[in-house]
Amino acid sequence: MIARTTARIRGWGRDLMDWMEERTGIVSLTEKLLYEPTPARGRWLYTLGSATLFLITLQFLTGILLLFYYVPTTDNAWDSIHYIMTQAYFGRLIRGMHFWSANLLLFVIGLHMVRTFLSGSYKAPREMNWVVGVFLILIVTIMAFSGYALRWDQEGFWAWEVGAMISSYTPLIGSWVITTLLGGDTAGPATLSRVFALHVWLLPAVLAPLIGVHLYLLRKHGEFGATFEYSERLAALRKRRQMEETFGSVEEDGQVADAGDHSQEG
Amino acid sequence: MPEELQKDPLTRRQFLWMGTLGTFTGVVLTVPSAVFVLDPAIKDVLLERSDVPAEWKEVGSVFEIPASEAVEHLVEFTQKQTYDAGEPAVNGTGAKVETMTNAVLLSWRDGKLPSVLSTRDEGPLPKTQIKELERDLNALSNHCAHLGCPVRWSSETQDILCPCHGGIYDINGDHTGGPPAHGLWHYVSRIREDGTILVKHEFYVQQKGQIGPGVKTKPYVV
Ligand code: HEM
Ligand code: FES
Repeated sequence: MIARTTARIRGWGRDLMDWMEERTGIVSLTEKLLYEPTPARGRWLYTLGSATLFLITLQFLTGILLLFYYVPTTDNAWDSIHYIMTQAYFGRLIRGMHFWSANLLLFVIGLHMVRTFLSGSYKAPREMNWVVGVFLILIVTIMAFSGYALRWDQEGFWAWEVGAMISSYTPLIGSWVITTLLGGDTAGPATLSRVFALHVWLLPAVLAPLIGVHLYLLRKHGEFGATFEYSERLAALRKRRQMEETFGSVEEDGQVADAGDHSQEG
Repeated sequence: MPEELQKDPLTRRQFLWMGTLGTFTGVVLTVPSAVFVLDPAIKDVLLERSDVPAEWKEVGSVFEIPASEAVEHLVEFTQKQTYDAGEPAVNGTGAKVETMTNAVLLSWRDGKLPSVLSTRDEGPLPKTQIKELERDLNALSNHCAHLGCPVRWSSETQDILCPCHGGIYDINGDHTGGPPAHGLWHYVSRIREDGTILVKHEFYVQQKGQIGPGVKTKPYVV
């Protein structure tokens, strides 16, 4: 009886998946997205990018939740956060996650960058992934900085003011940069509106598609040093050994030595 | 290679039209947005306007500033930004006047009490004495000339200190140590007959030892 029921439910499940697959291609897409060869060497170091992705997703989710209470005005910003911390159920948890995940994110994104640098993953054909990554870390840094100012408490206010003053030392256009950041020639209500627009709308809107490009490029070239890359290189190496055995030493610039090995370039 | 990829060849005329229309569309899409965002920069930098109207504000009296000491006074300036209309709340419109609080450090040049003050301790002051006092008065912004942290007077060491990166200034606001590139900003100030000191939200920087207004610049922020 139980066996028959489970078999039938399983059958329905399969029917549903087939139905969906036929109309959306969801199953094959999921398979394609999930199964990606990664290098056996390095192991945990290759999860740093995914850890970054996890944390930035957490930022998006908890950030959206905070917006249910946060008020971006000089009169009420601090009070609204005080309300989150003292009155709203789980307010401390949600805000705490947003805060700690932001700090951890900066740390982990740095480690991820170090990993891709030390493993030489920025080399051809993955240069553009590095370039996109540089923009990502820049945006994430400005996100962290602007989020700090949104609190509009003493710390956040002075941090933003010092940051704005730093920007005023930009050659030639310094006064343009600082007045754009402040929304005037003094810090006030316009400043907070601008910081809010940056932190909540502009930067995430730029960040999200860039992460998409980052992941697209990753999958296009495959994880650096993944098994297939090694197998290609090993095949090339073996072929070269064979040639050497047959013909004696092969010239450096000979066709044979070149086959499939990009790791020496750049 | 690119020619092969091109399925329908473009004529020269079509190409130029596309370029013209493309440029036009691009301008229509980007220029208004960019100018919208840069509005405050255009008004402040190009048109040289300020968020703070050029009003004189009182900050204490010349008779209250001791020798060898810089005293701090708070001053409230009107600030016009975004939703504050800058008009007092009249006719129930609820238009709100936003203000901001600045700190002014008042001291005498080199900490020496002007001779005028050794003989009298109330107004009215004659024109010549006002001129003399105005020359000797330092009305300094507490906004550090490095990155804008609030500086304060330290009577033990007889100088003005910045908590952020160790900027040091003497009693005249001249830079004596640390990262700041120049001395503290001076408020544009004047003295009334009754000895009241008035400041405007306008600033200048002096060379070391210079007397009287130097180069007018903006400290921004506070
Ligand atoms: C929001 C920020 C970022 C996210 C979400 C992110 C995510 C990822 C993920 C999931 C991977 C694949 C897994 C891995 O290699 O760990 C990856 C690979 C990569 N990332 Fe990032 N990353 C970010 C920032 C950066 C930065 C700042 C750099 C360097 C400037 C960078 C450079 C790279 C490169 C070169 C690869 C290819 C690695 C390879 O093929 O071995 N990424 N990224
Ligand atoms: S802000 Fe005062 S020394 Fe840097």
